[in-house]
Amino acid sequence: MASQQVTTRRIAPGLKARIAPTLAVVLGALGLLGVLWQAFGAGFGEKGNVPTFILITLNGLTLAGLLFITASGLTLIFGLLRVTNLAHGALFLLGGYLGLTFIQKGVPWLLAALLAMLATGVVGLVMHQLFLRWNQGQDLRQALITIALSLILADQMLAHFGATPTAIVPPDFLASPTNLGVYSLAYPTFRLAMLVGALVVGLLFWLVIKRTRVGMVMRAGVDDSAMTSALGINVQLVFAGAFFVGSALAGLGGVFAGTSYSLAPGQDQAFLVYALVVVILGGMGSLGGAALGALLYGLVDQYSSAYLPAAYANLSALLTFVLLALVLAVRPTGLFGKTR
Amino acid sequence: MSEHVLQARGLTRRFGGVVAVREVDLEIGQGERRAVLGPNGAGKSSLFNLLAGADTPTAGSIELFGTDVTALGARQRTRMGLSRTFQTSRLLGGLTVEDNLYLAAIGVSGGRFRLLRGSRDAEARKRAVRVAESVGMTDRLGEPAGELSHGEQRQLEIGLALVAEPRLLLLDEPAAGLSRAERQLLTALLLGLERDVTLLIIEHDMDVALTVAERVTMMYEGAVIVEGTPAEIRSNQRVHDLYLGRAHV
Amino acid sequence: MNEGWMSRALSLGGRGALAVVLAVVALVPVLCSTFFTSQVGLTSLSLGIVAVSLTFLSGYGGMVSLAQTALFGVAGLITAKLTVDAGWNGWVAALVGVLAATAVGVLFGAISSGSVGIYFLVITLAFAEITYFFFAAVPTFGAHEGINQAKPPAPLGDPVLHPSAMYYFMLVVSVLVFLGLRYVSRTAFGLALQGVRDDPVRMAALGYNVRLHRTLGFALAAPVAGIAGVLSTWSNTRISAGSISLAVAILVLTAAVIGGLNKLAGAWVGAFVYTICDTYMRGWTDRFATYLGVVFLVIVLVSPGGIVGVLTSAGTWLRRRVGAGDVPGAGTSGRPGPLAEPATPVPVTGGQSA
Ligand SMILES: Nc1ncnc2c1ncn2[C@@H]1O[C@H](COP(=O)(O)OP(=O)(O)OP(=O)(O)O)[C@@H](O)[C@H]1O
Ligand SMILES: [Mg+2]
Repeated sequence: MASQQVTTRRIAPGLKARIAPTLAVVLGALGLLGVLWQAFGAGFGEKGNVPTFILITLNGLTLAGLLFITASGLTLIFGLLRVTNLAHGALFLLGGYLGLTFIQKGVPWLLAALLAMLATGVVGLVMHQLFLRWNQGQDLRQALITIALSLILADQMLAHFGATPTAIVPPDFLASPTNLGVYSLAYPTFRLAMLVGALVVGLLFWLVIKRTRVGMVMRAGVDDSAMTSALGINVQLVFAGAFFVGSALAGLGGVFAGTSYSLAPGQDQAFLVYALVVVILGGMGSLGGAALGALLYGLVDQYSSAYLPAAYANLSALLTFVLLALVLAVRPTGLFGKTR
Repeated sequence: MSEHVLQARGLTRRFGGVVAVREVDLEIGQGERRAVLGPNGAGKSSLFNLLAGADTPTAGSIELFGTDVTALGARQRTRMGLSRTFQTSRLLGGLTVEDNLYLAAIGVSGGRFRLLRGSRDAEARKRAVRVAESVGMTDRLGEPAGELSHGEQRQLEIGLALVAEPRLLLLDEPAAGLSRAERQLLTALLLGLERDVTLLIIEHDMDVALTVAERVTMMYEGAVIVEGTPAEIRSNQRVHDLYLGRAHV
Repeated sequence: MNEGWMSRALSLGGRGALAVVLAVVALVPVLCSTFFTSQVGLTSLSLGIVAVSLTFLSGYGGMVSLAQTALFGVAGLITAKLTVDAGWNGWVAALVGVLAATAVGVLFGAISSGSVGIYFLVITLAFAEITYFFFAAVPTFGAHEGINQAKPPAPLGDPVLHPSAMYYFMLVVSVLVFLGLRYVSRTAFGLALQGVRDDPVRMAALGYNVRLHRTLGFALAAPVAGIAGVLSTWSNTRISAGSISLAVAILVLTAAVIGGLNKLAGAWVGAFVYTICDTYMRGWTDRFATYLGVVFLVIVLVSPGGIVGVLTSAGTWLRRRVGAGDVPGAGTSGRPGPLAEPATPVPVTGGQSA
């Protein structure tokens, strides 16, 4: 990659380098103006569009929370191991189904979520130890391996959990909606908890990155040999730990998604793609980037499906990818990606 | 046109906190044979990368054959008549020796996008074979470059630079890892180069470097510390302290 | 010499086997049922062509693309739209469809040409998703319903009831695509593309525009994927957004990997193996996808050269064994050195190609 950048950087000439960002910023600003006009154009009264706007914004924010939890695992693994785990979506769905199973067996929600995280983490760890560890550095081969594993996992989940969409019942204390206190609005408490969960995960990560040597390595985005000297002999342990934690986060995302949305075959690929978009938007390996990417994705997704003119409403699924293309046109390595 | 083939002013390259190249001024005249010496990590290869366009300087400017090329890439500089070798061989491992040389030939002469094979290839192929002969690889033409021995890879590395018939040749440690006999062959090859080729060579091997070069530039910690004839360099106290005094290959 | 005779016999045997395979392939409509010809024959040929556009990119350009099905879909859907809704002549519609796929390919190629390896894979995945969502959303192209009754031009007959004309047509196209791509790989452009695959920095130092070469390589593979899209539309008489979902893109990758990601012939081998399993294995197992995944995994782990890679190394090994058995201590071809060692598996990218 390093050498690749050398050729890439020079080819973007000055003119193109200026047109693309301007275009992207103008488009973004126009979109935002459109949303705000629709939200506040009819005034701030009860009859206006502000209450809907608040709900849609909350939908976007809580979706962003879920996406961040899922994507942070992906970006953690990439940041340390340079492995793009394309089985991340399968681990996500596995976490959801395991959580569901535990809860159906009578385990309380919180404990079930924890157990599901542990189990997914272990599955991810086994995957890494058995299939990926000895391929370190062959990124394409590792990606193919994880694709194969995701095919197997997805089919096995279909066999064990069936094709009917199912949802996890939220814990009792989060089951009833929260009163927001404005416009007499109420919002599902569990979704708000999801946002809090994302903040907690983000905070823990931030501490690890700021305070530990592992975090330093992740920030620097260094290569294998430099990492060995920075971390001493424990590189393999750190790698295994990263895979465990990253996979466990995918599992946690699955439990959250299963509780606030639903679990069904196909969710694995859908959320893998969401997480990839989020991670690329922010810059692979950057945690702050993942947070910003998740926020952008969540809001653009929700606003576009609510505010696009009716004739174009069915294009909303496209829009997040257009966002991705716009960002990559301006910054080929994502918002916070290292131009190495 | 300036009388200098290559002229660098205030060339600086930072990698984070490391200053790999520090305000280097360099002037190479037509037909000159110049050696760049310096201990490991002195910034010689980094300087080469800047000169060849494989890397962009943090500050400073480069003039090649009288034209400012600071903003141009490796591709354009190669087309202008600059060829370089890499310190660790960068060969097209999946292609045969002949195809490596052939691609190097059409890289500067045109026909890179041709989708038909035909008689127009013959000239480039002939040149490839001729250069293979001059670097002693005639019997390896059909071998994939990835399967060559280390010495052969170094030979091909030089061959790739020569096929382009450059006016300025940058060689980064061409003798590294070569046997004694191979070094002598290399020295002979370099001495046999025509005078319209200007030569800039990084070399740890003093025999090769000081036999070939007429002037020497000495680098240390990114900066040029001395410049002079081989004799001046040999007798320079600072050079002795820094470099020649140490155990070396 | 005895040894030379043996190895010649073996290579003759290899060629003989190849000839038998080709003869059987050519006789499929005669020997096999209509169901087999249409279900297995037509499907594996169109899957093989789209897979070879990926194999070409990956084997010669080092670009493992997930966007080939998107280009397949652009050509297929436009052809179907023009023939069914606008009443165009099928050949003209197909030409327009393939040209459109090429144009989209140039665009995709230009955007992704700055990325390599896994970044390239992920960016092309985004292209696949964009194209899928676009066709799934736009009513002009039938949205999720797709376009039905997209029949091939009259000379190709009815692909379901009488598939042999269609089969031979697709077989001829396959052979032409194979020969064409193999020819290109030996031209200046093709060699330079392989050079870019092996070392982009070196190629830039030799005077090449690396991004342009990558873009053009991508553009060259695009009409191949487009042709596959048209042929698939014709042989199924329909196409929809579902035909180019991410699952299908991964399926094409799977077939290409199983056959061998760095030999052109591997695309058709993988496509055939996949199609035949898809057609018959589903009858006795519900866990077809698991078995497929396991085969995929084993191949990536054990033999990155795929089935074709295994066959090639087996052939080489056999030839060496026989040669060594005849004349102790001597290699078969008289060349010195490393030939005595067993062939090492070819890495997923790089290495020599067909
Ligand atoms: N891509 C890079 N990123 C960070 N630091 C670099 C990079 N390339 C070189 N350096 C640093 O720049 C300094 C000069 O390196 P360079 O390779 O130019 O030295 P050199 O004189 O060629 O040494 P040698 O004789 O070992 O080849 C070294 O400290 C090296 O660590
Ligand atoms: Mg060096």
